[in-house]
Amino acid sequence: MNDLAAATAAPLTGATAPAKIKVRDVHFYYNGYHALKGINMDIPEKQVTAIIGPSGCGKSTLLRIFNRIYAIYPKLEAKGSIELDGENILDPSYSMNRLRTKVGMVFQKPVPFPMTIFENVAYGIRHHEKLSRADMEIRVEQALRSAALWDEVKDKLKQSALGLSGGQQQRLCIARGIALRPEVLLLDEPTSALDPIATGRIEQLVEELKHEYTIVIVTHNMQQAARCSDRTAFMYLGELIEFDNTEKIFTKPGKKQTEDYITGRFG
Amino acid sequence: MQATSAEPLARDTEHRSRADARHDFIFRILLRCCALLVLATLLGAALSTLWGGREVLFKDGLHFLFSADWNPVEDQYGALAPIVGTLVTSLIALVLAVPVSFGIALFLTEIAPGWMRGPVATAIELLAGIPSIIYGMWGLFVFVPFMAGIEPWLNDTLGNIPVIGAVFQGPPLGLGLLTAGIVLAVMILPFISSVMREVFQTVPARLKESSYALGSTTWEVVWDIVLPYTRSAVIGGIFLGLGRALGETMAVTFVLGNSYNITASLLMPGTSISSSIANEFNEAVGLHRSALIALGFLLFVVTFIVLLIARLMLRQLARKEGR
Amino acid sequence: MSAIYTRRHLTNIFALVMSGVATLIGLAFLVWILWITLQNGITALTPTLFTKITAYADQGGLSNAIVGSLIMDLMALLICAPIGVLAGTYLAEYASSSRLGASIRFLNDILLSAPSIVLGLFVYVIIVLPMSNLTNGSISFSGFAGSVALALIGLPVIVRTTDEMLQLVPGTLREAALSLGIPQWKLTLQVLMRAAFSGILTGVLLALARLAGETAPLLFTAFGNNFMTVHPLDKMASMPVTIYQYTNDPNPALHAIAWAGALLITLFVLALSLLTRILFSRKKVSYE
Repeated sequence: MNDLAAATAAPLTGATAPAKIKVRDVHFYYNGYHALKGINMDIPEKQVTAIIGPSGCGKSTLLRIFNRIYAIYPKLEAKGSIELDGENILDPSYSMNRLRTKVGMVFQKPVPFPMTIFENVAYGIRHHEKLSRADMEIRVEQALRSAALWDEVKDKLKQSALGLSGGQQQRLCIARGIALRPEVLLLDEPTSALDPIATGRIEQLVEELKHEYTIVIVTHNMQQAARCSDRTAFMYLGELIEFDNTEKIFTKPGKKQTEDYITGRFG
Repeated sequence: MQATSAEPLARDTEHRSRADARHDFIFRILLRCCALLVLATLLGAALSTLWGGREVLFKDGLHFLFSADWNPVEDQYGALAPIVGTLVTSLIALVLAVPVSFGIALFLTEIAPGWMRGPVATAIELLAGIPSIIYGMWGLFVFVPFMAGIEPWLNDTLGNIPVIGAVFQGPPLGLGLLTAGIVLAVMILPFISSVMREVFQTVPARLKESSYALGSTTWEVVWDIVLPYTRSAVIGGIFLGLGRALGETMAVTFVLGNSYNITASLLMPGTSISSSIANEFNEAVGLHRSALIALGFLLFVVTFIVLLIARLMLRQLARKEGR
Repeated sequence: MSAIYTRRHLTNIFALVMSGVATLIGLAFLVWILWITLQNGITALTPTLFTKITAYADQGGLSNAIVGSLIMDLMALLICAPIGVLAGTYLAEYASSSRLGASIRFLNDILLSAPSIVLGLFVYVIIVLPMSNLTNGSISFSGFAGSVALALIGLPVIVRTTDEMLQLVPGTLREAALSLGIPQWKLTLQVLMRAAFSGILTGVLLALARLAGETAPLLFTAFGNNFMTVHPLDKMASMPVTIYQYTNDPNPALHAIAWAGALLITLFVLALSLLTRILFSRKKVSYE
């Protein structure tokens, strides 16, 4: 499966694990503004890939192409190809349901649905699968356990999710995402609205989840990228400047711009 | 490379996607039909009243608009008296309501202490919530006798001024165009003042502060900065009030006096388009009924144009704010 | 120099005092109207009002008018609430930036202040007349026609509030649901409407408060009826129309009953707007 990736020289990588997502010459336009300029990268399977860069560099935009969530807004256009397990997800014939069940997403601010805690997790599953009540309960429990939230909410599953703390809400959103058993999990600055303790828990969770999921995390927090990712991509002005092992990026960056950013000279 | 869990998932995503797309399509069409009903209502109201009034409109044409002769006994219908009555009462209402509304808006945005603003604004808005039939009853039983009491005084003072004096001459009936205009003014006051209040609040603080910094008084800031900045929306609010006044029925029907004579005096009884319809419709047959529906068409077209202008003016400020 | 200052100062004082006077004028009319209604209404408030029908005239009550109003207001809501909510949803979710959406939103605002008597005529022409022609006059004016006319009054209110309330729902909620593969229709009905529920309910209550006080659209649609009826195809009495007829009558005893009815309607409408305010303020707390 990954022979192809090895054969193509162009993409910036340093990967040893097989590539789960292959980004090939992706361009993105907002109302004609050229926001992403020819991105090429291979995202390795079952590892954490962090994307960093100053605001406006296109890191969130890139993430939002991976599950085509951008497509709900008019006048946005992506060109190029993004292969997930060898199939191009930008191809209109790639079914949206297939994509969204394979690729889960967690957003900047926790957005629980206005339902009970149980329903928040069950809601997505119910749309895609017909499960018996007992099976559903098992699935919800599994998801909540994986998101390290079960112990805190097991006695109040029937209460509104809006009553949880911000950190709990964010873990609920992660539970909701992994309840569909995706293969890829996209995290868009998942801790930017949380306090340091809640942030620590989420980072720990990311560490645990990477054994099962391919994780891509966008963050403006360099320490966070350094702490919890295996590989880091640095983006600047819509271009991918450097993509390498996290350790290398933070200790011996190959490009001047990366070094300037890491050492805090801009951004 | 399949799922992360051992057990296979009972999914048919292709089938699901097709079903979702179909349901989304149906849902969208249903929603759009509901939204189009709003257009259908406006269009239907115009077309149906045009259709209902076709007999008199085809028979008399423009003569219908300019004839003052409304005589059901002889089956003659000229709309001039109701048209004049509607315009005159609405104009009186505007002349009275605009300065008062402006004063209220000024008081609530610039002068009143913070704790007072909310309750007073709510109270003024309650005026808009009172059903119009209540205005009508209050007008007939309380305000008409009150006006009958002050009309002799109006005769003696304003009535003696040369040229415009005739406007305030007349028998002290209490009923009439002036009374109806005042009742309408009270009715539209909350609409105009709440628009003014809202748009005054949109004026950027830095604009006002820089004027205060030059030593301007509160009044100068309002007159030189706030009003020019919000001009289009203020005019929009006034037209909104005008639209309400033109179409109001119940508040004026009791106090107008239902007379088809056109006089120069505001103290004389008159009629308006809406009160003619309300008073006569259920007894009218044939051409008479057609004439009343044609009046409705006229009223609809005029208010539509007035409200259209109002909304366009209001939208200009919203644009300026980048909303 | 100082003359200029004095003049500017005096102008300012005068303007500020006049604005205070204007506010007092506005409040005075509110108090005056409410006080008169309360005073005349309370003295005429008797149990007969609720037990006897209008056929007994000054010996009677308003029971048939109360029942008629309740039925027509409720039917009007049943007609305009679903249509209005769906139309408002269309504007907020599907047409927020399209030209069609912008024009519908714009025209809905015009419908909001369109003369209610013309909407009554509209319903007369499209429902009362055809029904009368079809049934050879045995059915003409009806409670149903009255409800449709009232529904047209309530419709734009609901469209507008639904549109505004859904626009307040954070966009990330839509993205979150869509990223789970939830289709738009399900997301709209089960997530967004639930999130905006109290706001949408506010709109429905506002519409009820607005249409419950309307008289003009009922005059030539529901007409009026001196007897009790619950059949939607009968002529139907209503509070506002009965008050209108009694006020037009020379008999002072009927005026008293009209005042009692006026008080009931005013209390109902004001209580509704109070309830609406409470709901609305709670909404701000629960969903940021």
